[in-house]
Amino acid sequence: MKKLAALLLALLMALSLTACSGKDEQAEKLDLSAASWDQIVDAAKGTTVTFYGWGGDEDRNNWLANVGAPYMKEHYGITLEVVGMNIDEILAKLAGEKEAGAAAGSIDMIWINGENFYSAKENGLLYGAFLDKLPNTEAYIDTQDPETLNDFCMPIEGYEAPYGRAQLVLFNDSAVTPEAPSSAQELLSYCRQYPGKVTYPALPDFTGSAFVRNIIYELCGWEQFQTMEADYETVKEAIAPALDYLRSLNPYLWNEGRTFPDSSTTVDAMFTDGELVLAMSYSPYGVAVGIENGVYTPTTRTFLFENGTIGNTNYMSIAFNSPNPAGALVVINAMISAGLQLSQYEKLRNLPVVSPEKLSAGEKAAFEAVDMGEGILTQEELLTHRLPEMPAKLVPVIEEIWLNEVVGK
Amino acid sequence: MRRNVLLRLFLAAAVLCILLPAAVLVLWSAAARWSWPSLLPERWSARTVRELLFGSQDLWRLLGSSMSLGSGAAGLSTLIGLLTARAVSLYDFPGKGLVRFAGLLPLLIPGTVFATGIHLVLLRLGLADTAAGVLLVHVMTALPYSIAILTDVTAALGGALEEQAAVLGAGPVRAFFAVSLPELMPGVLSSLSMAFILSYSQYFTTLIVGGGRVKTLALVMVPYIQGGDRSLASVYALAFTGSALLVSALFEALIRHWQKRGDRL
Repeated sequence: MKKLAALLLALLMALSLTACSGKDEQAEKLDLSAASWDQIVDAAKGTTVTFYGWGGDEDRNNWLANVGAPYMKEHYGITLEVVGMNIDEILAKLAGEKEAGAAAGSIDMIWINGENFYSAKENGLLYGAFLDKLPNTEAYIDTQDPETLNDFCMPIEGYEAPYGRAQLVLFNDSAVTPEAPSSAQELLSYCRQYPGKVTYPALPDFTGSAFVRNIIYELCGWEQFQTMEADYETVKEAIAPALDYLRSLNPYLWNEGRTFPDSSTTVDAMFTDGELVLAMSYSPYGVAVGIENGVYTPTTRTFLFENGTIGNTNYMSIAFNSPNPAGALVVINAMISAGLQLSQYEKLRNLPVVSPEKLSAGEKAAFEAVDMGEGILTQEELLTHRLPEMPAKLVPVIEEIWLNEVVGK
Repeated sequence: MRRNVLLRLFLAAAVLCILLPAAVLVLWSAAARWSWPSLLPERWSARTVRELLFGSQDLWRLLGSSMSLGSGAAGLSTLIGLLTARAVSLYDFPGKGLVRFAGLLPLLIPGTVFATGIHLVLLRLGLADTAAGVLLVHVMTALPYSIAILTDVTAALGGALEEQAAVLGAGPVRAFFAVSLPELMPGVLSSLSMAFILSYSQYFTTLIVGGGRVKTLALVMVPYIQGGDRSLASVYALAFTGSALLVSALFEALIRHWQKRGDRL
C-alpha cells in the first residue's frame, strides 16, 4: 500500500513538472511597445501560449486542436495550449492572481466579450492596447467598423481583437409549422396558433437575454439605448411597450409563461424533442451543422426579423499577467488572417471578422466557394439585418426588469 | 419463502432503477436524433464515440491523470484517516474533540468558497496550477469521509486485540499489521473507494486550483454536459462511470488478494 502511494506520488510530481515546463521556455523580456513585429515573432519562437475559453463546443475544440494549434507550430514554432474554462472562472482566477500579487500568471489569451470584457477592463485584468501592433489588423480588419471600436458599447481601445461574429436567429421545422414569423406581431399570432409550444430561455441566459433585447428593438427602436443611463426606472419606462408585448405573449407560451426553460440548450433540446416548435440561436449557421449531424430534420430552416436581429462579436484578449504576451500577439495576429478565418468559416460555420473590402480577389472567391449547408441564410442577408448591441451596463438592468415585470404576469 | 420472493422483487426493482438510466445513456450516446414519441432513436450516429476516442481530447491521458490523482488522493486520505482514527478512538489526549471537529471542517464550508480560498493560499505557496496542489486539495475534500468511516470501524474493533498480541510478544507494528489491519480492511476499502470517487468527480476545485492546466476527465466532461449536446454528454458519462467502477473493482481485488496472503501467514 505504502509502496503504491509512494509510486503514485512520484508519478504526480513528474506530471506537475511537465505541467510547469512551459514557463521555462517563455520569451525573454522584450519591450513590446518598442519592438518591431519581426522582433516579436522572433521572441515568440519556441514558446508556449495558453488560450483560455469556453470548452463546451466540440467543433471548436477540434478545430483548435487540428487546425489552429498545428498552424501555429508550423508557421511560428509556437505551441498553442487550449484550456477549456468558463469565462466567470477565468475572471475569478485572474482576480485571485491579482489579489495574491502573482506577477506571472498562467493565462495568455482569453476568449471574451460583452459584460465580461467590461468588468475585466474596468478591474485591470487585461494586458492593454495591442490591436494596432498586429500587422493583420491593418491588412484584414475594418478598423472603423463599430464592432472593432466598441464591444457592447464599451470602447475597446485596442484591448481585444475580433475572433468571430454571432447573430441572433430563429429557426423552426417547415414540415411542422410552415410559418416563419418575421416580426414581433407575426410572432404573437404564431404563438396563438401553436399555444404552449413556443418559449424562450429564462434571462440571464445569453440567448434569452438577446431575444428580449431584440423584442425591445422591434417595439422601441434601437438608437435611444446606445446612450441610455443604466437606471432602473429610466430603462423600464423606455421599454414599456416591449414589456406589454411580452406579457401579452405569456398566455400562449409553454407553461403559460409562468416559468421559462433555464437555458438555450434546454430550449434547443425541447425543440429537437418536438416539445417546442420554435428555437433560437446565436450561431447563425448552427442549423446547417445540426442538419449534417442529424440532430435537426432536413426541413429545419433559419429566419430572422425583417427589422433585423442583434449581432455581436466575440474577441480575443490578453491577460494582465500573461507570461508570454509576445506569443499571444503572434497567435492573435494569425487568428485574424484571411487563411484561418476562412478555415473557421468552412469548418465551424463562423461568421468571419475579416472585412470583405480588404480581401484579395482570390481570398474573396475562396470564401464564396464554401458550401455552407442547408437551412440557413446567406451572409449578406444576415449582415444587412444586423443590429448593434446595447451598452453592457443596460443588460443586467433589463434582466432584472424582465424578472419583475414579465415572468408569470 | 414469501420473504424470499419479496426480497427478490426488491432486488429486481433496485437493479432496474440503476440499469434503466444506464441503458438510456447507452442509447443516447449512439443517437443522432431521438424525439418524442419515438421509443428508440430515429437516427443513429457514431459521432460521439469517434469524438471520445479520437477527438480533440486525449482520452487516455485524461484517464491516466484522473486515475493517478484519484488513487493518490484515496491512498493518502485513507492513510491520514487511519492515523487520525486510531488517535481519536484509542488514545486520550487534550484537544481530542477539537481534532475530531477539525477533521469534519472541510465538509462544513461550501465547495466554491473553499476552492477560491485555498487557491489564494496555494498561489502564495507556488502550488497553484500544479498536480501536487490539486492532489492536496482532493485529499482535503476526501479526508472528512475517510476519517468518519475509519473512526467507526476502529472504535468498533477497539484496542483489546492488539493488547492481546502484545501480551503474546508482538511489537506494536506487528500487532497492528497482523491483527488489527486485516479486521479493518472492509473500512479501508470503503474509505479508498469513497475518496477515489470524490477525487475523480471533483470539477470546481480541480478547475480553480489546477487552473485548467491539470486536466482530468471531469474537467473535460462538465463543459460538454453544460453545452447541452446530450449524445456527447452521455458518451462521456459512460466513460466516466465505467472507468470509476473499474478502479473500484481493482481496489477490491487488490484487498482480497492482500487478505488471502494475510490468511496464509
